[in-house]
Order: sequence, then structure tokens, then C-alpha cells
Amino acid sequence: MATQDPDKLMAKADNLTKLSFTRWNADWRNATVLYEQAAVGYRFKKENEKAKEAFEKASKGQEMISSPWDAAKHMESAAALAKELGHWNEVSDFYRKASELYRECGRSQPASDALGKGASALEDTNPDEAVQLYIEACEILEEDGKEQMAFDLYRAVTSINVKLERYTDAATFLLRWGVAADKCNAVNSQCKAYLSAIIVYLYMHDFQQAQKCYNDCSQVGSFLSSDQGRCTSKLLSAYEESDVEEIKRLAQSSPITHLDHVIIRIARKLPTGDLKELKKEEDKAEEQTLDENDLT
Amino acid sequence: MSVIDILTRVDAICKKYEKYDVERLNGDNVAGDDAFARLYASVDLDVESALQKAETASQEKNRAAVVALNAEIRRTKARLLEEVPKLQRLALKKVKGLSKEELSTRNDLVLALPDRIQSIPDGSTNGAKATGSWTASASRTEIRFDSTSDGRFESEYFQQTEESNQFRQEYEMRKMKQDQGLDIISEGLDTLQNMAHDMNEELDRQVPLMDEIDSKVDKATSDLKNTNVRLKETVNQLRSSRNFCIDIILLYIILGIAAYLYNVLKK
Repeated sequence: MATQDPDKLMAKADNLTKLSFTRWNADWRNATVLYEQAAVGYRFKKENEKAKEAFEKASKGQEMISSPWDAAKHMESAAALAKELGHWNEVSDFYRKASELYRECGRSQPASDALGKGASALEDTNPDEAVQLYIEACEILEEDGKEQMAFDLYRAVTSINVKLERYTDAATFLLRWGVAADKCNAVNSQCKAYLSAIIVYLYMHDFQQAQKCYNDCSQVGSFLSSDQGRCTSKLLSAYEESDVEEIKRLAQSSPITHLDHVIIRIARKLPTGDLKELKKEEDKAEEQTLDENDLT
Repeated sequence: MSVIDILTRVDAICKKYEKYDVERLNGDNVAGDDAFARLYASVDLDVESALQKAETASQEKNRAAVVALNAEIRRTKARLLEEVPKLQRLALKKVKGLSKEELSTRNDLVLALPDRIQSIPDGSTNGAKATGSWTASASRTEIRFDSTSDGRFESEYFQQTEESNQFRQEYEMRKMKQDQGLDIISEGLDTLQNMAHDMNEELDRQVPLMDEIDSKVDKATSDLKNTNVRLKETVNQLRSSRNFCIDIILLYIILGIAAYLYNVLKK
């Protein structure tokens, strides 16, 4: 049967599903089988457009006969073909649909995997959409208590954000990563995430934020006493003293070299801008507080 | 005769002829009831042995052996010095059979003893001065690495400080190399620690997955076992001998018909 012409199979399957005078109920079971065979045949022949359509219809058929797992699988295949064809909005739609079907089955891991695949497919062409998909994937896992698996997704989000130069977003996600790591007691990853966040803030030349971030993160005892925590405090004190040599030396030191390569790259570029400006800003801030005291 | 018998016999004979043992009598006479003489003899012996040790120490090349020997000599000296006052008391006691001159000589001998004891070389002589300077310069070189042996350049010690200079240089070079090596090792250990942490977290991640796999595979195996048992029953039913015989007979009939047809067609 597989050697039959896929076109013929498609036609047959369409006949089975189209409601007409003679047919009151669509025969989805047989139709689905035919659709699957047609899709495989098209894929073999490398007719991606038709294969994609066949997979879509097969997925719908599976839905009708209420087997969401197979439906989701077909959706994923359709999405992969859409990616090859370059229909980017279809890609995100299909992957989203596949993810929903997986969730119907109650399997969160494949659901987030589907969204992850979609996001990585869209990284180059539509990074915003990709970020969105990644966030959804992380949320699915966190709902289900499987934060461990979310680490890779957070890493991908961070790298996209840094590439897009959206450093505040990147830092936010790093802190969220820290929270996820905290929930599953992954101390090393947590400390690394916090260190990365502080480096991102320093790269943005926002020393106040970096300081605040460090103070917040120091509330976590394990960060304070870790190698990464010590490195952070040294880095911040080097910034305060405007000691460029020290900053460069710390960027080569071991806690930073063990971070994600995207972060290492920006750490090597530290310090950005003029350190004396930071001092002036600090002094201004201090003067302002003094004025307030005078008023009271 | 056993050994013990021989020994007892020899002892008995010796005792009998003790009075003919000239050497011992002489020795006893010399010491005999005389406590002073005995003690003096033992002290003398110790002094002689100490002097011999001192000679071996001065010829010894191995510094550690020299140090050990010197320490022994010093201990013996201290012990002997303690015995000297006892000897003095004994010297003043009057013993029968001893002339007045001998008494005075004894006193002199006792007085001469401390000097003799002190004069035994134990590596710390040549004046306490020189010892002081050696230890002082040693401590100075410990504190300041740049200074060579300032202080006295006494002829004996000049050579030694040259040696120790070289030794110190070598030591510092080796220390630097060790430091470099240790730095490299510490970097490697940092990387190792990081990898170990990551592996730890990865394994933590895998544990619940493995548990899931475990339960799923258990379920699959039990399903398989059930299926196998049912299959076995079915196959056994099918293979019951009656069906088997019927199958064989029918097979023969078909073969017979086929052969007949073949013959007919061949003609």
C-alpha cells in the first residue's frame, strides 16, 4: 500500500472525509491511515508542501479519533516541514498546537520540547517570537515542577537577549533562572546565574543596579559564601576603586571562565565606558540624599 | 648430659676454685669493699667511652650521625657530672687498708674529674661565643633573604656559609618552580570542581527520569509475561495431537491429488 501514489491516497482519504449526500459520517479512522501514508510518500519524494498538508490532515484525523499523542506527533512533523519551507508563522502555530496536544495527554516534557524546537527554529528569523516560545516552554515545566529541564531553555533565552542587546531582559531571565535553580537545589547553577546577571548589569554600565542586585542576591546564603559570590564582591569593589587592571584580571579568573560563553564574551569586554563617570554618578546620588536630609 | 647439668657443674667448680682466680681477686681488691674505688672505676670507664665517641664524631661525615653522637656524649657528661659529688663524699671517707697519701690522691682525682668530663668534645665546644654567632647568623639569614652571612667570617664558618648560600639559592629556585606548578594544579582543580558540580546537577536531573523509566519498563515486562503465557496456552491448544493428525492426513490427501493431476497432465 505504501508504494501507491501518494496523490491517489490523498484523493481517497479526502473522499472518505468529505461529507456528501451518500456519506453522513466521515470515516476518520481509515482516512487518517491514508493521510499518514500519503504524507510519508510525499516526504520521501521531497514534496514538502504536499507532505506538510498531508501531515496536517493526518493530525486532524488523529484528533478526531481522539488520540492526541499521535496528533501531536504529526503536528510536529508538519511544523518541521514548514520550517524547511520557510513559512515561519506556520512554524510557530504548528508547534504551539503540538504543544497543546501534548498537554492534553498530560505530558509536559514533550510539550515544552515542542515549544523549544519551535523557538530554536525561529531564533534567526523572528527572535521575539522565539523568546516568547521559550518563556512559554519554561512556564510549562515550572508548572509541572520540572525546573531542572528548564535550564537549557533559560540559557537559550539569555543568549538571544544578549544578541539582541536587550540586557535588562537578559538579566531578568538570569534571575529567574536563579529562582528555578534554587527550587531544585542546584546551588552551583544558581550562583552562576547570579554572577552572570551582575556581569550583564555591569556591561550595561549600570553600577547601581549591579550593586542592588548583589545586595539582593547576598540574601541567599549559599551565594554569599560561594566562589561566585566572592568573585562578584571583588568585581564590585574593583569597580568602586576604578581599578581597570583588577577588573581585567578578575574577568580572566576561574569563576567567570566557567560561565556560559555568551557571558564570558561580555565579561572580557568589561569595563565598558569610563569608570570615573560612575564615581560622579555615585557622588551625585549621595549629594541628593544629603539635600533631603537638610530639608528634614 | 644436658646443658643445664654442664652449667651447674661449671658453676660449682668455679666457686670451689675462686680463690685461685687472680684477676678477679685483683679487681675485687681494687674495688672490693671500697665503694669509692668502684664508682671511680665506672666513671673513668664512661669518660673513656665518651672520648672515643667524640673521636668518631669528629671523623664522621654524616651530619645527622654527628648530631646523634654529640647528643649522647652530652647526656653522658651530664650524668657523670651528677655522680661527681657522690664521689667526693666517698673520697673523704676513711677506708681500712688505705694510706693517708692515697686518701689525698683520691681527693685530687675527684677534683680533677669535673674538668676531665667537661673537656670531652661534644660538638658544642670551641667556645660558646662561636656557637652564639653561628646560630645568630643562621637566624638572620632566615629573616632577611638578601643578606649573606654578615657577622664574623671565622675561617671555619666561611666555607659553610658559601655552601649554605648555594643551597639557599637552589632552595629559592625550587620554591619558585613549585609555586608555578602549584598554580597550574590549582587552575586544573578549579575546572575539575566546576565540571564535578555540573555533573552533580545533571545526575540529580536524571534521577527522576530513571525512576520513570524503571516503572514503565516494569509495566512493560509484566504485560509481556502475561501475553507470553496466553500465547503459550493458545499454541498448546492448537498443537493438540488430534488436530495434528488431521493436518497430516489432509496434507497427504492433497499431495496425492496433486500427484494424480500431475500424472494426468504429463500424459
